[in-house]
Amino acid sequence: MTDVALLHAEEQAPLEGVIKGEVLRMYQEVAEHPEGEFHFYHGRRAAELFGYEPEWLDRAPPGAVASFAGVGNPHLRSRLQPGETVLDLGSGAGLDSIIAAWQVGPTGRVIGVDLNPTMCRKAEAHAAASGLRMECHEGRMEDIPLPDASVDVVISNGVINLSFRKRTVIRELFRVLKPGGRLSITDIVSAKQLSQSIVNDPKLWAS
Amino acid sequence: MFVLLEDAGFQRVRSTVVPGFAFRKESTRDAAEAYGVKAVLFTAQKPAT
Repeated sequence: MTDVALLHAEEQAPLEGVIKGEVLRMYQEVAEHPEGEFHFYHGRRAAELFGYEPEWLDRAPPGAVASFAGVGNPHLRSRLQPGETVLDLGSGAGLDSIIAAWQVGPTGRVIGVDLNPTMCRKAEAHAAASGLRMECHEGRMEDIPLPDASVDVVISNGVINLSFRKRTVIRELFRVLKPGGRLSITDIVSAKQLSQSIVNDPKLWAS
Repeated sequence: MFVLLEDAGFQRVRSTVVPGFAFRKESTRDAAEAYGVKAVLFTAQKPAT
């Protein structure tokens, strides 16, 4: 890292910590109070808007559907096959993990990674209520708690944009994927550099 | 994101704008439009060798 980059990282470190706290708070709020109002659409309405199959939403636990806070539908292009190992990065309340688990079947494996241990336990409980086994690891997307070349597919939905270190996150995805592995991720991008007032606002960044 | 995926070594990087994505609050929606904020579906593959 250059001196300038190091200085920049040091300057951003306190803000990054504040934003991490705000991200944890906001998405736990969505999970615990899905009837609330947020900057983004969430729950069944959002999932239907992004083309989730109604039968998936009928079949999944209501709590997983109500807390859905994605920005698109990574399943449209994931082409999951029975027996595959899937990483759901930022698994939240578990809806995408549950849908993935249906597709990879009992010989497959779905691993969630989430910053929030409470969300991990919630996702595992939702999967168990669906008769599925999903393991969720508490961890940061910049330091994914999985071995090299250990998953066939990565899915993720509206998570990577929350990181200050997107390049590191993408390198981590490359590291954990097996050779020939693939990813299908939906996320938010902006055509223009965001103003410093937005970058410095934890609530806006987290939304 | 597209460039980050290519820089990391991914191949067959593809992106498609997610139709229908919008922020719920009008003030956020207006700011998002001003910055060209979009939701995008990315797919990519790690080389087999």
